[in-house]
Amino acid sequence: MFRFLPYLLKTLWRHRTRTLLTVSGSAVALFVFSFVLSVQVGLKQLTEQDDSVLVVFQANKFCPATSHLPQDYELKIREIPGVRNVVPIQVFTNNCRASLDVIVFYGIPAEQVRQARDFTLRSGNWSEFESHQDAGIVGHRLATRRKLKTGDKFTVGAVNVTVAGIFTSRNPSEEDYVYCHLGFLQRTRGLDLVGTVTQHEVFLAPGADPATVASEIDERLKGGTVRTDTRTKGVFQASSLADLIDLIDLSKYLGYACLGLMTVLLSTTTIMTVEDRVQQHAVLQTLGVSTGRIFRLVLAECLLLSVLGGFIGIFAAAATLTFSGMSIGAEAVTIAFTPSLEVLMTGAMVTVMVGVIAGLAPAWRASRAEIVPALRSIG
Amino acid sequence: MPVIEVRDVTKQFMKGSETITPLRDANLEIERGEFVSLMGASGTGKSTLLNLIASIDRPTSGTIVVNGTDITRLSRSKLANWRAANIGYVFQTHNLVPVLTAYENIELPLLLLPLNRAERRKRVEIALGAVDLLDRANHYPRQLSGGQEQRVGIARAIVADPTVVVADEPTGDLDETTSSQILDLLQRLNRELGTTFLMVTHDPDAAAIAGRRLRLEQGRLVEVADHVPVPAALEVR
Repeated sequence: MFRFLPYLLKTLWRHRTRTLLTVSGSAVALFVFSFVLSVQVGLKQLTEQDDSVLVVFQANKFCPATSHLPQDYELKIREIPGVRNVVPIQVFTNNCRASLDVIVFYGIPAEQVRQARDFTLRSGNWSEFESHQDAGIVGHRLATRRKLKTGDKFTVGAVNVTVAGIFTSRNPSEEDYVYCHLGFLQRTRGLDLVGTVTQHEVFLAPGADPATVASEIDERLKGGTVRTDTRTKGVFQASSLADLIDLIDLSKYLGYACLGLMTVLLSTTTIMTVEDRVQQHAVLQTLGVSTGRIFRLVLAECLLLSVLGGFIGIFAAAATLTFSGMSIGAEAVTIAFTPSLEVLMTGAMVTVMVGVIAGLAPAWRASRAEIVPALRSIG
Repeated sequence: MPVIEVRDVTKQFMKGSETITPLRDANLEIERGEFVSLMGASGTGKSTLLNLIASIDRPTSGTIVVNGTDITRLSRSKLANWRAANIGYVFQTHNLVPVLTAYENIELPLLLLPLNRAERRKRVEIALGAVDLLDRANHYPRQLSGGQEQRVGIARAIVADPTVVVADEPTGDLDETTSSQILDLLQRLNRELGTTFLMVTHDPDAAAIAGRRLRLEQGRLVEVADHVPVPAALEVR
């Protein structure tokens, strides 16, 4: 088969305008598909986080701006069996509704950041963050999007922080947040939230049952000033993004539609080239090329167009997602659009599948043509 | 033993509701190394017979044995392999692959045989030399004259050292001078290589170069000249 590769490549080069257009179409289709898939994967990562972390939120409240829990609930929660650690968090966001540029501040006791989160500082240092009340560490994606660097002043609404460091995390969504001191965020002008927090994040001891501990927390705090609703972090984030989840779920059909269009485009182009080369295929058969080889040649041609365009689309999507730092969020929870190995592998597999499926009909048609009538045809 | 044996071959096909029978109970034997020309008016079935012997078409009835193989019994895929090893085909309209150079066009039949690159190169160069086109190896068909294109077509037909070379009106698209050169070339190759040639033509002058001339009349073969002795085969490869 590889012996015929020059013939294959030269055929594609000879019709380079058609090849270029087809490859471009495939690239656009795979770009959109990979983009949509990245969002889906980002959402999945967010909502399927491990069950060992619970979020205690004010009951019947959904927006972080309206959840106000007493900070001292932390002490009561710590007494509950199965609880390893509790982190009080004040959340401030510039936009509770769905947005492509949500900025979320997480106010957290500075000394607990390193315990509660698995961050790696790409620039700046922890002591700078811990020793300055107005210091904040900024997620890499947000820093990229907003072109922030260590030492910059960063203001959103009434919150004004100095960037003490840029961090990366294994959880890409975390890279869309700014972490600052809890007291600083509580005392920010206009918020006046000293003594209250938006939520408590509860880290469970190994072996503790999340559902039991969550019920116990809500039961224990029932007699307090504010009632609570405790859920695992994954469920909490899924509920915060409920409106978006439906929309994101729907977007997968856009991805499928792109694949459908790509299949039709490839199939149409390949069948056109087959019709143009009826006589040429008949000549090849006269020379002794078998129908099976003609089938494989046409299939390979279609596959090559698909893979060329598909890979361009996948890598263009990966590059765009990497360098744009795009994300979508609602209720202070963001979904990071990140290119992952899963997206790249799925994209590559889909590209090959589409190439094969699109090539089947043209390849069958080319291989079934009778030699003598084909030799007499004009082409 | 004849290299080609055509026995009681009939070919019919449908044209609308009408049954056309271009060949009816045709019988033919061609000895190894013969140069046979086949004449006849348009539509008499000479190309049909050529295509049947070249195994790119199947008879309605009868048997065709080429080089000891009954090709009417072979499956489509086996027939392709058999054709690659046994048949060289010279087309009227050259039918070169436009995206390939002369060298690559000639190399095409060799890609189907178990030969390495060096062996293929050697054979292509011999074929190019035989048709006197070594200096045009890297030219594309569009860069060649009609006569040169046909010579590339002939080189492609002989490069795999086939048992039989069939030529369907090989000079039909060429001017008188070029036709004469091509006919001389075919005659020389037949003489030097000892390969069996079967040429279809409607031109009596072209047919005259053959050692044996046949005419198809109303679906049947008629001998028009005495059988001339087979030229001595010369091995050049």
